[in-house]
Amino acid sequence: MKKPIYFSIAAVSLVFGLLIAFQFRTTSSIAGGVPVDRFQELTIEKKQVELDNAHLEQEAADLAAKIEEAKKGRSQASEVLESELSKIRMYAGLTPLSGPGVEVIMENPPDKNGGASFYSIRDEDILKVINDLRGAGAEAMSINGQRILATSEIRLAGNHINVNLVRLSPPYHILAIGNPGTLKSSLEIKGGFVEYLSANGITVAVQQREKIEVPAYNGSLKFDYAKAAQRG
Amino acid sequence: MGILGLAVGVVIGLKVPIILPQAYAQYLSVAALAALDSVLGGIRAAVEDHFDNTIFISGFFSNALLAAGLAFIGERLGMDLYLAAVVAFGVRIFQNLAILRRHLLKK
Repeated sequence: MKKPIYFSIAAVSLVFGLLIAFQFRTTSSIAGGVPVDRFQELTIEKKQVELDNAHLEQEAADLAAKIEEAKKGRSQASEVLESELSKIRMYAGLTPLSGPGVEVIMENPPDKNGGASFYSIRDEDILKVINDLRGAGAEAMSINGQRILATSEIRLAGNHINVNLVRLSPPYHILAIGNPGTLKSSLEIKGGFVEYLSANGITVAVQQREKIEVPAYNGSLKFDYAKAAQRG
Repeated sequence: MGILGLAVGVVIGLKVPIILPQAYAQYLSVAALAALDSVLGGIRAAVEDHFDNTIFISGFFSNALLAAGLAFIGERLGMDLYLAAVVAFGVRIFQNLAILRRHLLKK
């Protein structure tokens, strides 16, 4: 009768000792001996924070996607604006252009007597040539490197011709981009202006070119009086 | 004999390279309390000469399991139910100890 008593008690004591030892080691393994309650609280808090974190990460990804979209939209808009701007600059003559066209070289008659020649090129002659070229569909023109703008003047100033307020002297190289055949034939038409000039002793050479480079206007642009009018 | 078992248990517990997760620490502590109660109860029964081995062993296990179960359920319910086990076992431990003390002193 005594034996099983001791055996049972010893066994239960052994289990008790095991539990205590385990408990002791578990508790002491916690750094700084953090109480279990605190540990559980912190675990719950950590789970909550992790959940929040996941939510926030998702939100951040959403926002990043939105930013990406907005950027795309903006870049598209700026692309449209850019192409519009470059078109307008091209139209205004602020970009050098190249393309097929004609080169017209006008020269005063050679000076035989050492004095002033009988007929020299006047501003009106150049204006007429320019006008003819425009009428034949020239898209961009320049005279001796001066781009012809909507505001460009061609006028006689003393012995020179001013274009864009720059003095030009003969020979005059007129470059025009457009259909070379049309441009050339509009100038050299029978009874046309070139014939008239040639009859007056001025050498006018019209040459078709596969590629002509018309420089950009390099003066300053300013509007002292004109302002954009309100539309609508 | 009981102290010998206790010592062996402690030694084994310290040597076994298993560290239980901290989540079980609470259940383990309550179960340990139940074990202590059972040991004292068993010794008291032995001294009073009505020790029953089956009752002792089954009592030990059921007490330990009930205490751990209470702690578990209490945690799930958000209630400190393990306190019930702690109070019950604590009272019984002191009672058993008192009875044991009287028996030993009367001898």
